Amino acid sequence: MAEAKTFKGGIHPPYNKELASGKAIKRASVPAEVIIPLSQHIGAPNEALVSAGDRVEVGQKIGATDAFVSAPVHSSVAGTVKEVADVANFTGAKVKSVIITPDAEQPEFAKKQGKDLDSLSADEIREIAKEAGLVGMGGAAFPTHVKLTPPKDKPVDIVIINAVECEPFLTCDHRQMLERTDDLIAGARLLKSAVGASKVIFGIEANKMDAVDALRSKASSLSDVEVEVLEVKYPEGAEKMLIFALTGRKVPPGKLPSEVGCLVQNVGTAIALYEAAAWGKPLYERVLTVTGPGIREPANLLAAIGTPISTLIDSCGGFVGNPVKLIIGGPMTGWAQSEAKATVVKGTSGIVVLTSDVVDVGEETDCVRCTKCIDACPMFLSPNFIVQAAKRGQWDKAEMWGALDCFECGCCSFECPAYIPHVQYVRTAKAEIAALKKKE
Amino acid sequence: MATDNLIITPPPHLKSKEQTAIAMRDVLIALAPVTIAALVAFTYNALFVIAVCVGSCLVFEWLMCKIKKRKSTLADGSAAVTGLLLALLMPAQVQWLNMIIAAFIAIVVVKWLMGGLGRNIFNPALFGYVFIITVSGLLASWTGNLGMLKGGFDGVMTATPLAYIKSGLEGLGPSYGALLFANYGGAISEVGSFWVLLGGAYLIYRKVISWVIPATILATVLILGYIVGSDGLYQILAGGVMLGAFFMATDWVSSPMYTWGQVIFGLIIGVLIVLIRVYGAPTGAVAYSIIIANCFVILLDKAFKPKRFGEVAAA
Repeated sequence: MAEAKTFKGGIHPPYNKELASGKAIKRASVPAEVIIPLSQHIGAPNEALVSAGDRVEVGQKIGATDAFVSAPVHSSVAGTVKEVADVANFTGAKVKSVIITPDAEQPEFAKKQGKDLDSLSADEIREIAKEAGLVGMGGAAFPTHVKLTPPKDKPVDIVIINAVECEPFLTCDHRQMLERTDDLIAGARLLKSAVGASKVIFGIEANKMDAVDALRSKASSLSDVEVEVLEVKYPEGAEKMLIFALTGRKVPPGKLPSEVGCLVQNVGTAIALYEAAAWGKPLYERVLTVTGPGIREPANLLAAIGTPISTLIDSCGGFVGNPVKLIIGGPMTGWAQSEAKATVVKGTSGIVVLTSDVVDVGEETDCVRCTKCIDACPMFLSPNFIVQAAKRGQWDKAEMWGALDCFECGCCSFECPAYIPHVQYVRTAKAEIAALKKKE
Repeated sequence: MATDNLIITPPPHLKSKEQTAIAMRDVLIALAPVTIAALVAFTYNALFVIAVCVGSCLVFEWLMCKIKKRKSTLADGSAAVTGLLLALLMPAQVQWLNMIIAAFIAIVVVKWLMGGLGRNIFNPALFGYVFIITVSGLLASWTGNLGMLKGGFDGVMTATPLAYIKSGLEGLGPSYGALLFANYGGAISEVGSFWVLLGGAYLIYRKVISWVIPATILATVLILGYIVGSDGLYQILAGGVMLGAFFMATDWVSSPMYTWGQVIFGLIIGVLIVLIRVYGAPTGAVAYSIIIANCFVILLDKAFKPKRFGEVAAA
């Protein structure tokens, strides 16, 4: 076998995938109440299309806006709107949300007879993605139809399916590759048609060889689909690192993948596009992993958007041991929660509960210039100097050292012997730099 | 649900086992072979030197934390490392006052007055040592016999290996084997460069240091040594080259951060060592070379700042 492809830099955190990688996807039970934020994506917020007392059906559009960079929101249950109110989401931000009391009996989603997938035009596919409310399901939640509309002067020739799942613990993409192989390939080819690319490449880390084999056996007859094995290294699934590992192309600082003729989409997004095109099903539920040493029975769950994470944790047998960190997303980039209250949104890839024996929250001490952050940075930045500039309030210097190029993978803080929270300093620097630019 | 203990911190939520204190402990472990060899060779004298140097560095560190009203930094191990390195630079017969002054310069002046751990331009132990060999003559004139420093790290006593280099008579000095394992002369660490090399290999294995700086220094001294007509191999085995290359020039704080900067840094040190040894006074050649090279670190870090991923021309 050829050597696994990769990028320069990065880290090898403990992966702990075995906790959930063998668990087949199960449908989560319907909660007593779903809270669906009207804005679950990067871009313009939606207006509520329903109000208290309204009856809603599964898949009914309940939030939309005319803005291009946006994605509509659909009801994940059949039920009655209890109220439309501002509710804190997983980041702590108050977001206008539709609170729905589900019916006791939930109907199966009625698949509509879709068109022949091969006959869909690029515009039709983009329209399907937009109407279904598709966003990037790896976590960033950028509206898919916008990504499918690259600048006219930047033709895309390669669609990359980000099947890396480099975040430790998470296994939902892995399970979907095994259990939804055909749908995934069909969805990937729709993405290819939407941007007029010539081929699709699946990038998968070498710790999921069963998924590689599954995809290869299905794709062997397809001349436009390639399945590539990547070295197990974090953050292999970062867009720029993945493009480089698979194609050798380097996206310049501040530019998008279309600059080098690539489109990157996540496994979940590709499957959701297939469901939208073939079945007329909007994005109102998703697969996520509930796992970690603090979860009694880790699982991969298909959950309705708006399901409180407490419901999902309960259905996994609740906590075990001494849980000290409850994370929405992966452990490298996810959001620590103070209580199990937030609800699942389109970008929620997992719930990870860490126990006191694996959490190491050290006190921040002085930088000793060991260069471990520099060696780990996949963007070849010097995180220590960004931090130094941020501590001094020298925002121009923070920008000079590349604060805006940082995508917050956290490799620097993972390696730092002085427990410096670089990512936090970078976020502050980004906000300050943006504020200064606004003033100018 | 029991969620009272939940900790809120920014990501990432996983942490490697890297810790400043563990790295310092690794340096102490790496210094164990040469320290033991020194104790075997110089017995109570070496024990006295180590006790005074380490003890006074720890006391000064503790005092500075008190004065600066900071939490004690003794646990991070850096003061202990400075103390042990300082001790290893000293000759066995050194007077106690010299060591305490050197420790004061190292910890109080070079480290704390520069802003504390991480902000010092010079390697504290080396600077303390260089200070004391520079002024000990002066001290002697004030205090008589008390301040006199006899011999020293890279210092010339009769029959230290370095004296043979200076006089071009390497062939008459100790054999390579003796230099590697059991040659006594000069500082208490000059008891066989093999023991230092062993510790250096451990530091590279533990990824506390990279091989770039030591390899550049050793290669430069070896090759340039032969070019200027002396025995290059003898040059790297004798005196403090090994200790300097693996333990002093690789000090995180006072060495360049980027690979090519580290190469130039190693070259500067290597060239200076040979030039000072062969054409100048060999006393403290390694120490002076590293201290001078420390001055270039800020410049080297600026000059060799790596291009960002995907960056083509300089922004």
